[in-house]
Amino acid sequence: MGEKKDVWQGTLALMVLKTLQALGPLHGYGIARRIEQTSGDLLAVNYGTLYPALLKLEQEGYISSEWGTSDNNRKAKYYKLTRAGRKQLDKEAREWEQTTEILARFLAPGKESA
Amino acid sequence: MRRLRALFIRIAALFRKGRQDREVAAELETHLQLHIEDNLRAGLNPDEARRQALIKLGGVEQTKESYRDQRGLPLLETLFQDFRFAVRMLRKNTGFTLIAVLTLALGIGANTAIFSVVNGVMLKPLPYRQPGRLVSLFLHGRGLDRGVMGAADFLALNERQKVFEQVAAFSPSSIGFTLTGLGSPQMIPGTRVTSDFFSVLGIQPALGRSFLAAEGRPGGNLSVIVSHHFWEQFLHADPSAVGSSIMLDGRSYTVIGVLPLDFHFGPHNELWPILQLQPPRQRPPYWLLTVGRLKPGISETQAATDASLIAKQVREQFPLSDDTNTIVVPMKDLMVGDSSEALLVLLGAVGFVLLIAVVNVANLHLSRSGSRVREFAIRSALGAGRRRLICQLLTESLILAALGGVLGLAVAYGGVRTILALSPDALPRVEEITVDGRVLAFTALIAMVTGILFGLVPALRSAGSPVGDSLKEGSRVATLGRSARRLHGALVVTEFALALVVLTGAGLLIRTLSQLQSVNPGFNSSHLVTALLTLPKGRYASAPQFTSFYEQLLERVKNTPGVEAASITMSLPPNLLELTNPFHIEGKPDVPGQPATAVGEIPVGTDYFATLGIPLFRGRLFSDQDRSSATHVLVINENMARRYFPDQDPVGRRVQTGEYDPKGDWYTIVGVVGNVKYEGLGEKDQPTMYVPYFDSGWCPWFVREMYIVVRSASAQEKVVSGLQSAAWSLDNQLALAHVRTMDQLLYESVAGSRFRAVLFGVFAGLALVLAMIGIYGVMAYSVGERTHEIGIRIALGAHRTNILQTILREGGSLALLGVGIGFVVALALSRTLSGLLFGVQANDPLTFAAVAAFLLSVALAACYLPARRATRVDPMVALRYE
Repeated sequence: MGEKKDVWQGTLALMVLKTLQALGPLHGYGIARRIEQTSGDLLAVNYGTLYPALLKLEQEGYISSEWGTSDNNRKAKYYKLTRAGRKQLDKEAREWEQTTEILARFLAPGKESA
Repeated sequence: MRRLRALFIRIAALFRKGRQDREVAAELETHLQLHIEDNLRAGLNPDEARRQALIKLGGVEQTKESYRDQRGLPLLETLFQDFRFAVRMLRKNTGFTLIAVLTLALGIGANTAIFSVVNGVMLKPLPYRQPGRLVSLFLHGRGLDRGVMGAADFLALNERQKVFEQVAAFSPSSIGFTLTGLGSPQMIPGTRVTSDFFSVLGIQPALGRSFLAAEGRPGGNLSVIVSHHFWEQFLHADPSAVGSSIMLDGRSYTVIGVLPLDFHFGPHNELWPILQLQPPRQRPPYWLLTVGRLKPGISETQAATDASLIAKQVREQFPLSDDTNTIVVPMKDLMVGDSSEALLVLLGAVGFVLLIAVVNVANLHLSRSGSRVREFAIRSALGAGRRRLICQLLTESLILAALGGVLGLAVAYGGVRTILALSPDALPRVEEITVDGRVLAFTALIAMVTGILFGLVPALRSAGSPVGDSLKEGSRVATLGRSARRLHGALVVTEFALALVVLTGAGLLIRTLSQLQSVNPGFNSSHLVTALLTLPKGRYASAPQFTSFYEQLLERVKNTPGVEAASITMSLPPNLLELTNPFHIEGKPDVPGQPATAVGEIPVGTDYFATLGIPLFRGRLFSDQDRSSATHVLVINENMARRYFPDQDPVGRRVQTGEYDPKGDWYTIVGVVGNVKYEGLGEKDQPTMYVPYFDSGWCPWFVREMYIVVRSASAQEKVVSGLQSAAWSLDNQLALAHVRTMDQLLYESVAGSRFRAVLFGVFAGLALVLAMIGIYGVMAYSVGERTHEIGIRIALGAHRTNILQTILREGGSLALLGVGIGFVVALALSRTLSGLLFGVQANDPLTFAAVAAFLLSVALAACYLPARRATRVDPMVALRYE
């Protein structure tokens, strides 16, 4: 359980950062929906994992939060990317691309013997 | 960096829980509402929309929980929680807490106190510059282990050595120097030192300067450096006193410096007069201690090789002297002396006491955790993990240990003061015995280790028992069951084994002390007063000056009312032998290459034997007829007669003392007297020679410092004042030093043994009390637990004496087993004491048996109360419990 969660936590953070970069300031619910939509509903985000992840990112200074009003007039906490968050996003995205590229090479059939 | 930032935020979050809890609740609520609205928009009816949203999102409380975990530091919060809970538990059980903390405080305090002493005496570096490179040099040869140097050896060393930065010689005088001109004449203890002494140590005077090289040479200006204390007491702390003159032993010394307040070197030194060494005409006498600072990179072995070479050269110069090497000993070894053995033994003993305390508290803890079995069962049923429960129990025991440690520190503080007051002369480096950082660290460490030790036993046990069993136990009080009782028993056995070891050690050392005190010193010690008188060189130079002074003095003292007898001597029993001398028997040539045996030789007044009450066995004592300068007579003791003149009459035989000289004077033995202890009460009888103090071979050179002995039925003060006025009536510049009654001297001479016996006795007392509390607690607990069983037995007709016997047998067999194991351990360990014992073997059966019997009877006494309570159990009450 522990290992899986860590990977998930790591990728969730990256998804959150990317979402905030793409859409600008957003509340928790919006972030969750956006991630689900982007994943083609393959992922389900529940707040048991989302909010601790948001808190951690905030503690680390990658995002900041502010209370605001939503489209339909609800008080909601809005998260936005900080400058450090932007840098972190670039870095993590690059690393992630590298990782997937390496893995893809391993998994691609036939190329190994070449 | 990011992690650190997060950590700070999380720590800060610990203190703002309420507001943040509300915020997260609001945020989650918004999330839910937004979701519901979306679902409504998707066409679901309100109930369904809400239901779907809740299903999707999972439990709100779990989310809050994991959010909280991320927000703060769960580990720390758990710890706080444990801490608060533990404090609450300990406050609820004041009795338990009090006993546990007191027990630990005594154990930890005693250990800290002894460790403070060990630290001050053995561990702390000497308080000088780079003390690791300070060494002392000794002559080492046949029959000579650490021989001090003579002037010839030191001067040669100082001139030719290449391995030391500097060397210095010093000669302590515990008797001191006669200070005149500042109030009435007084004896001030001090040490003569050569000019480089303070620069070897790396000490600068706080005021004034160190010695100049010129001052160290014969004929140089006589100068003295004084202690801070002396400067305050006699020079009114006046800075301009530096440069003034004081009179020491009748000669004028210039005060050139005042030492720093915290400077110490050896015991009680106030004066540091310059030591000017004359170029010697012979190698002996040997009287100089040395200190040298090794050059960087030079080892002690290299230094010893270089110095030994010089010693060989000195011998070539004085071929009659002994052939010796030079050995190099770290200065610290010299300072610490042989006290380390006793200190380590004490540390071991006090460690055992601490172990007993730990076992005791573990026992208490265990008894209590018996009544808490249900609490733990319920907690673990509610989901507390095994680790969590152990942590909880450990937190409790660590808090107890910490409290015990703090209180123990107070105990140690008082203990150190008591130890120092108890025996100022039994320990070296007393000024450095303090409670310092290292001692505090030691206390913290042992407190923590003890906390973990006594906490772990019950923790592992309670946390390990299966939940179901404890909850199922139907009785009113959950009990510990058999395995716990076995554990209790094992702890009591351990306690008694440890107690027996400590008690045996105490028994052996106390017997040593009593044996020492019952040693016959060889004379009648009651009603004897002694004092030391030093005649200054300036006014006393020739033999007639000395003899006339002493004869007049003794005449006046004898005429003082109440005085029965008075005389003078150079050495005093029981341990103030000042001089040993080789001797040669006429007609019995020395074995070539073999150094002649040296025995104690003591110049005494004619009435010395009568004054002390030393019996005459053969021949005669000294008389006024021996005063002719051509006559040389000796009185020897019985031991010497038996050892060197077996089966013959030594009276009339002639001997020579000192270096053999074919043309020298022969001394005729005129009498044989009883043996007297001069080298300590614990030493075997040694050969001794007595010579009249006025003998032309001795007077005036060796009789400058003489002890006066007075036998009088009057009070000590009266005798001393009579003595003082008699001396002052002859010479008002004289001071009496070292004024003691002979009984005091005997008492002081066994200070070391008394110190060890008293401390060991105290530790044994502690061990005994703790063991008693231990077995009492366990038996009381066991009786309480078995009330029901006992009730049934009584109801079925068991006789009350049977019940009493059963309980006593149970406690007694635990104690017996403990004593048995302790017996074996003590037998193995007591050998480490053998160097400290006198008149009793390390495995002395009497001591062992007495201690074992004592401990057993104490155990039975401690069991008696609970056993009595057991016999009073009312069967009806006991049965109604169910």
